[in-house]
Amino acid sequence: MDVLENIGRLEVRTAKSLTDTISFAFQVIFRMFQYRNYNSAMRMVLINQIYFTSVQILPVFLVVSIVLGSLLIGIVFQLLKQLGLTDYFGNVLMGLIVTELSPLFTVLFITLRSASAINTEMAVMKVTGEMKTLEMFRIDVINYLLIPRIINGIVSLVLLSSLFAIVSMFSGILFSRIIFGISMDGYINILLNSANLFDLTIAMVKCVALGFFITLIPIRFGLRASSEFTSIPISVSGGMVSVFTAIIIIEVLSFLTKLL
Amino acid sequence: MDSEDELNAAFWKALESNRLQTAPVSVDVPLISNQDVWMNIALIKQYHENMPRSQAQKLALHALQRLDLAHIAYKRNPALTTEERFCVYLLRACMVQNAMIIIDRPFKIIPQLRNSSFIFQTLKKVDDFYATCHIYDYKWMADKYGDL
Repeated sequence: MDVLENIGRLEVRTAKSLTDTISFAFQVIFRMFQYRNYNSAMRMVLINQIYFTSVQILPVFLVVSIVLGSLLIGIVFQLLKQLGLTDYFGNVLMGLIVTELSPLFTVLFITLRSASAINTEMAVMKVTGEMKTLEMFRIDVINYLLIPRIINGIVSLVLLSSLFAIVSMFSGILFSRIIFGISMDGYINILLNSANLFDLTIAMVKCVALGFFITLIPIRFGLRASSEFTSIPISVSGGMVSVFTAIIIIEVLSFLTKLL
Repeated sequence: MDSEDELNAAFWKALESNRLQTAPVSVDVPLISNQDVWMNIALIKQYHENMPRSQAQKLALHALQRLDLAHIAYKRNPALTTEERFCVYLLRACMVQNAMIIIDRPFKIIPQLRNSSFIFQTLKKVDDFYATCHIYDYKWMADKYGDL
């Protein structure tokens, strides 16, 4: 009976956490569309966040994208040649690397660098009483802290994911010439013929969803910290596990959408 | 008031009495640690009055200058002395419109002070920034406030 009780309790807790996150997400989305929330203080936080997440990261991100993108393109093209599937390289490039791997790589990069930092920052602010300061001065935590970070998550993920895709496509020019002997014009032609608007739309929606949840979940977990410093690592580890679960769920949902 | 509980209760009651105007100065209402001093002061105007960043920054720097503290504008909370921190708490509170400042145990913020002259001199220098000011402290601290 104990085992069944534990399973039941776990199910109830998971379901409650999921419904809480979804209702919180709706609350945040509703606030995001209220123009009056975009005051000078909030805009300042938004600009700083975009700078920290998208601009500061650029040199490292570019180097990693060039190395990883070229490596992926090189391996995939070589495999296609060995399997005699040269005709499909455009579809593979657009369908696998641009619409699947670019968002996945970018979301992992941003999660490791920024989502963990956001989770810690929120938890520290809660523990040191800074959240109470905001409350005392009638500053809404959702408007001032959450919305700029979530918008930043969405913007950064869409932009950096597009950057990764562009870098990969440029690497493709080089590798298609070396491996398949295709000229640049021919390469661009194949790429344009392989581009599928539906797939690109799904990829864009996926980036928006990933950007939203990889910032919302760490913030929620950070705000759950108690007044003790020992609650910070607990909050961060819980937040990160949930972020990775959310990434997997979104990936599966986008795959199912493509199948349907 | 004699006990900490009584004092805390009175402080929070005063804060709740007029949420629009009350502005706390207390160790329990700390500065935002990932923001510079000027940002902490300007935040209130930027958020509640949508004051542009440059204008709010100018106002914060002007307020700091009044207390001869312009040099701490770009410092953060941990780098401040207790006196500087008290002044920043006070200036932040002054940014509330028609501020009704409530100072909670000033000697808890600046423990090394021997009397209240520093506190009153500071309040005097910025008296046009706030409407009223109330200080909450223990009865047995009355000596530190002199003839007030």
